[in-house]
Amino acid sequence: MTDRLSRASSPAGIDDDLAVLWRDASRDGPVARALMANLVVYRDCPATEQIDLAAPVTQVPVDEVACRHPSRVIVLHHGGQPDLCAPMGASVCILLSGPPTARFGVEQIAVRSACAEASLPSIVRRLALGDIPTSVWWTEDVSRSTPLEALVTLGRQLVYDSRHWNDVRRGVLALAPVIGHRHAPDLADLNWRRLTPMRQALTQALAPPLGPIDARAVRLRVRHRPGDGALAWLLIGWFTSRLDWSDADLPATVEEHAEEDAVLSVSIGAPEATHITATMNGHHVRVEYEGGLAPFAIATLHETDADAVAAELRNLTYDTALRDALAALARRVISSGSP
Amino acid sequence: RAGYYEQAGALRDMVQNHILQLLSLVAMEPPRSLDAEVVRDEKLEVVRSLRPIDGEAVDNQVVRAQYTAGFNLGSPAPAYRDEKGVDKASRTETYVALQVFIDNWRWAGVPFFLRTGKRLPKRASEISIHLKDIPPILFNSDPAGRLDPNVLSIRIQPDEGFALTINSKIPGPRVRIYPVKMDFRYGSTFGNISPEAYERLLLDVMAGDPTLFMRRDAVEAAWRWVMPILDRWAERQDATVPPYAAGEWGPPEANAMIESTGRRWRNV
Repeated sequence: MTDRLSRASSPAGIDDDLAVLWRDASRDGPVARALMANLVVYRDCPATEQIDLAAPVTQVPVDEVACRHPSRVIVLHHGGQPDLCAPMGASVCILLSGPPTARFGVEQIAVRSACAEASLPSIVRRLALGDIPTSVWWTEDVSRSTPLEALVTLGRQLVYDSRHWNDVRRGVLALAPVIGHRHAPDLADLNWRRLTPMRQALTQALAPPLGPIDARAVRLRVRHRPGDGALAWLLIGWFTSRLDWSDADLPATVEEHAEEDAVLSVSIGAPEATHITATMNGHHVRVEYEGGLAPFAIATLHETDADAVAAELRNLTYDTALRDALAALARRVISSGSP
Repeated sequence: RAGYYEQAGALRDMVQNHILQLLSLVAMEPPRSLDAEVVRDEKLEVVRSLRPIDGEAVDNQVVRAQYTAGFNLGSPAPAYRDEKGVDKASRTETYVALQVFIDNWRWAGVPFFLRTGKRLPKRASEISIHLKDIPPILFNSDPAGRLDPNVLSIRIQPDEGFALTINSKIPGPRVRIYPVKMDFRYGSTFGNISPEAYERLLLDVMAGDPTLFMRRDAVEAAWRWVMPILDRWAERQDATVPPYAAGEWGPPEANAMIESTGRRWRNV
């Protein structure tokens, strides 16, 4: 069970107010301070919008993530109104979790800022704790709300979900400068994570003894459920980078379909090679071969978004496959305009 | 305090006294007793063992800088030259970073990195001891995922205590390493609030305990070490004093200095 102790604060009073909360938290017994990482959560917040900084963020599972991967959470509610030149407010909170004999607490700081975007890194530098990794969770649609380079490059990792992209093309272009930055963070896309079973299945399906695939001869047909266009294009990016397709030539079609329960299906054809179909639904990826070879299935991930974000925070590995796929997509967007 | 600071700068204001004191406490040999003079003797030995930094070595081992306009916890912060009482053409350094060496048997070859500055993101005083890096085999073999060394950090203020950051294996069948921090805080462990720095010193004055005060010979030794740096800066009036924005951790030149040794600054 999770309890939440919160207190209104001010930018200058955050440390003192947190100390008061820790004293309150330990009134009924010892509470361990749990801390694995700094997690900066970015939220768009128009200056005219009324929000309760002390209330939990409901649109994304921040509290659940913080309890799964104990982190000092810094929630930045930011709305651009640069003539307001000071943070508008702050609050502090301690989330208490664990059994009565082993209670632990994680800190959460919420800051409302309407200042210039350039001021946001100063807030993170001041509030982030040293010696632990810092991840930035961009909870907004990257294709509409471009991640601020100066902010995301402060962290070791950028977490986002391309499932929310309204415009795949713009999303890819928004990430291109981040990928190419000298201090580029590791990227963690929850949608890429959802694609893992499909990639595993296809890697297995295309491996010997089917024989080496002639990249020049492969043709793909990718069909996706409405709203999962980004998933389809991530898959295309993966193929492009793995098979070294040129930016101009895309031997693939991408279609939206509304039938069946398939999230994503891929048909792979190549001359003198077995035709392969891989279909992913909510339970598994099923691979079928034309010509009598035995099909197989790989289970999909059954996890909540909170589980997924926490797993990525724990992971901290440099995902070259995702980076290469995005880079390939960016080149394609720039050269041909698609998707 | 602008009038004073304009004449002093970060090197005189912080390094010659406070930072060299901290360096002495970290690097001194264990004293044979806690008698004030015995402790002060050992501290003095550290200062006397500091390798001189003079001439061109100053250009390579010392970085000074002055803050420009920036942000402090999201609020705009003016440039140093726009502060009240500061000359618009001031060249006073508000930041200094140094790479120093102690030439004695214990510390030969071990670099000490010191830095202090105004308008940095946090007000803090910390010492961090970075344990030796491990060879690039086993857990440290992947160039894309090199591990940071283990660190023992001592928080002088605020929130006195110390922490040990080590690399730990994440439970599970795969070998994945994650940095974890074991943290001790005086305040939350003993429940008392530590006295302020000057409270402690005033108490020592009343008790007649000079342990924490610099002895005359230590003051002179510290000045003898600092003066060549100031002399070099005085010679190089043509040199630009690099800028750093208020709210940042210092200028790129300071990063370049430490990164040239294969290390990087640790942010508190």
